[in-house]
Amino acid sequence: MPTANTIFPIHGPVDLLTRLDSPDPETKLKALREIKNQIIGNRTKKLSFLKLGAVPAVASILSSYATQSDSQLVDADVSTSSIIVQSAAVLGSFACGFDAGVRAVLDAGAFPHLIRLLSNLDEKVVDASARSLRMIYQSRLAPKYEFVQEKNMEFLISLINSECENVTGLGASIITHSCQTSTEQRALCDAGILKKLVSLLEGSLSQKNATLESMAAVFKKNPEVISKFVGLENERAVESSLSQRDSSLESPGTVIKNNTESVFKFVGPESGSALSSIIELTKDRYARTRLLACMCLVVIRNASPNYLQDMGNQSQIINYIPKRLQGVLLALADLCSKLESCRLTFLSLKVLNQVIDALTHDCADVRTSACICLRSITRSIKNLCAGNFMDEMLVIPLIRLLDDPSVSVQVAALGVISNIVVDFTTRKSTFIQCGGVKQLVQLTKSMHSTLRFNALWALKNMMFLADDRCKEGIFLELTGSLLASLMSDPEPCVQEQALALVRNLVDGCIKSIEYVFAEDGTLLDAVGRQLHNVSDEVGIQGMYLLGNVASGNELHKEAVLQQLLAQADNGAQSFVIKFLQSSDSRLRTAAVWVIVNLTFPSCPGAFGRLVQLKNAGIISQIRNMVNDSCLDVKLRVRTVITQSMTFGDGLT
Amino acid sequence: MSKKEGRKRGKREGKKPPRPPPPSSSSSSASSQLSGENSSGHTSPPVCTLLTVGQAFSGTQNVSSLQKDEAWRVNVRIQGCNLDHGYLCGTMEALNVPMADTPVVTFWEGEIVDGKNYTFYTGKWEASSEDDIRHWTKFPSFQPFLEQVKVDGGKSLDLINYPYIFMRWKEQYFVNVGTDCGLTIAGFYYVCFSCTDGSINGFYYDPNSSPFQKLELKSTNEGRSGFSFSFYELQ
Repeated sequence: MPTANTIFPIHGPVDLLTRLDSPDPETKLKALREIKNQIIGNRTKKLSFLKLGAVPAVASILSSYATQSDSQLVDADVSTSSIIVQSAAVLGSFACGFDAGVRAVLDAGAFPHLIRLLSNLDEKVVDASARSLRMIYQSRLAPKYEFVQEKNMEFLISLINSECENVTGLGASIITHSCQTSTEQRALCDAGILKKLVSLLEGSLSQKNATLESMAAVFKKNPEVISKFVGLENERAVESSLSQRDSSLESPGTVIKNNTESVFKFVGPESGSALSSIIELTKDRYARTRLLACMCLVVIRNASPNYLQDMGNQSQIINYIPKRLQGVLLALADLCSKLESCRLTFLSLKVLNQVIDALTHDCADVRTSACICLRSITRSIKNLCAGNFMDEMLVIPLIRLLDDPSVSVQVAALGVISNIVVDFTTRKSTFIQCGGVKQLVQLTKSMHSTLRFNALWALKNMMFLADDRCKEGIFLELTGSLLASLMSDPEPCVQEQALALVRNLVDGCIKSIEYVFAEDGTLLDAVGRQLHNVSDEVGIQGMYLLGNVASGNELHKEAVLQQLLAQADNGAQSFVIKFLQSSDSRLRTAAVWVIVNLTFPSCPGAFGRLVQLKNAGIISQIRNMVNDSCLDVKLRVRTVITQSMTFGDGLT
Repeated sequence: MSKKEGRKRGKREGKKPPRPPPPSSSSSSASSQLSGENSSGHTSPPVCTLLTVGQAFSGTQNVSSLQKDEAWRVNVRIQGCNLDHGYLCGTMEALNVPMADTPVVTFWEGEIVDGKNYTFYTGKWEASSEDDIRHWTKFPSFQPFLEQVKVDGGKSLDLINYPYIFMRWKEQYFVNVGTDCGLTIAGFYYVCFSCTDGSINGFYYDPNSSPFQKLELKSTNEGRSGFSFSFYELQ
């Protein structure tokens, strides 16, 4: 039940709106501050204030105090400035990441006032207004800025030239938002905006990011502007390079005129030029900056492939390429690791082939980075379901990397393979035909536990919902005895993967359960032995494995029952009771599923098994769990109880 | 999925202006996916082993219209699940579809109503909050939530111990046929999953298809005497 906070009273929205109307500037200011604090990062609060009409109220305060401030020839008094700053901040907060807020701010007519306040004498007012406008310009609802008109262009240039970080950031945001046509791109270029943007790349984090975004907008699909940009940087590069060398050489202009290309080669992108600044930012410490720099380069490459290609051919810079490439790949990996939208954008940019090419790069770090990048991309279940990654173009170089002299490369390649073999279509055979399974099985015998672990991970994923032929192919290669030894590997994480692999092996077609009975039941015995002393994670996989076997026929169920009832060598209690008492609800769930399957109704031996489970104290343990804190456990426990009811007094 | 119909229901004729967003959603592009800024102490739906990757379901979808009673056999399999993001996806196979030579398979993505990532309000796909309420109330297990959902979309509801999970499933593409197969995936399903037995009830919503096409699925053991569970993890 919500309770009132009596120590620090928080005013309700209605009360605060009333306070906004107060003639006392101090009360007004406090109300504005409190609204700002309440709505920051809180969409629900923004919405409730929005519904009460807070935005027009604040916009009207901004408008009247802005007019008041305009009429003062010298600096406005402190309270006027503070009220303007706070009301601008409130409006910015409403607009931040919230389109309904942006709409309300625009509808309330606050936009022209905020623009006007950029020319205010008070720096704080300018900063707050620019900040709010930046929030508005993050939304697609922001009005398009027509900078083709001369006056507007002048104003934009004044923003970009400002000393205030938020104002220059606003200028860049306006460009990003409003530069849409080639005419607009050309107009910005002709007005000399690019030169200024280049200098902002050396600014603060937010300036860098805003600038990279705006550059991408100016370059997009416009080779002409890009060529001017590169020309501009050559000029700068040569000037700076030659001034450091020998001033008696021909003038830079002549050099450029005579042999632009050779000069560019000579100078190389390490000269502090703009293009190299963008490239450098692909190694920035901040992921977002790395992404924006990569996106900017992608835009340049898509419009004018020759510039970046030329750079790749320069012998002078060849040593820098691996690091750059690595930076780009890792930045892309970072971006695509969590967000599906980034993966889709990456795939739509059609740069997958370039990343695949990097798998065969001479430098091991680049190969590793390419794998890490592909690992992030191949997390897209949507594309896995469409079978988009099971392509020989990708599969063959990856399989080759399993033989790589570097263990890091091998591990990274296994990461990608683990993802692509999930493939939900019927194309897993592509991987087998390319010799992938043989290689993976070899790696399960490696001296390096990381390789054993990752190879088993890949095989486990490959076994997920695999068809009979695929399962058979993998099992024949792996053999029951190798799997049994992997289940008792010294590393628990390897044990876990081995058990999970067999768990998947025995699911699906019922006859696949027979695999654990091959070689005189070596595999099933190994599972039972292993589970007497294991971690929760290993126990979970082991219990699901036994549960899957117990979903088979009578013989399968009896064999599982015997494993559950077998005592440990030291006579300790059955592992299943220990698992049912575990503090890990996932392990309790897995253990109860085994009992559900052993007592599954309409199976002839169900009653006999129920009696044996009862005698072993397992059923009474289950009864104690009828109010388990985990709903899933509770529901499965009830299933066991309901099933046992069919045998009359089975539980009593 | 549903049959493509060459008509529009009277009340929806003509292009509709965009609807104002429901209380839970901010914009059409962000749909009802909330950002991490909501910290109102909500509790997500329970983890349920019957709703995990690899699980299969089978049943029917009633596609009856005024002219004809008709139902398709339907198989569903869960292919991906990320409860932190309220995300679920899988494939749906429709058999005995009259206009198709083969079973038609689609890939769908699901939004789990967890009060954190998604609320009961859809905020997109041409579904107004009234459409939402009209469909959710068809599930008896939704009744206890009705009043609260009207207030905040269900953001403050305690769903952790509730044995039903509410979802929206939106088909994204046809897996094995072209878009000219005579079927449409323009709509989406309101889905209610029972954690107790793994049964699924759903209603297909598409303003241009027959209303309230009912989907009824049961967890399938695929010929086994018990439940089995496969598992994969992406790296």
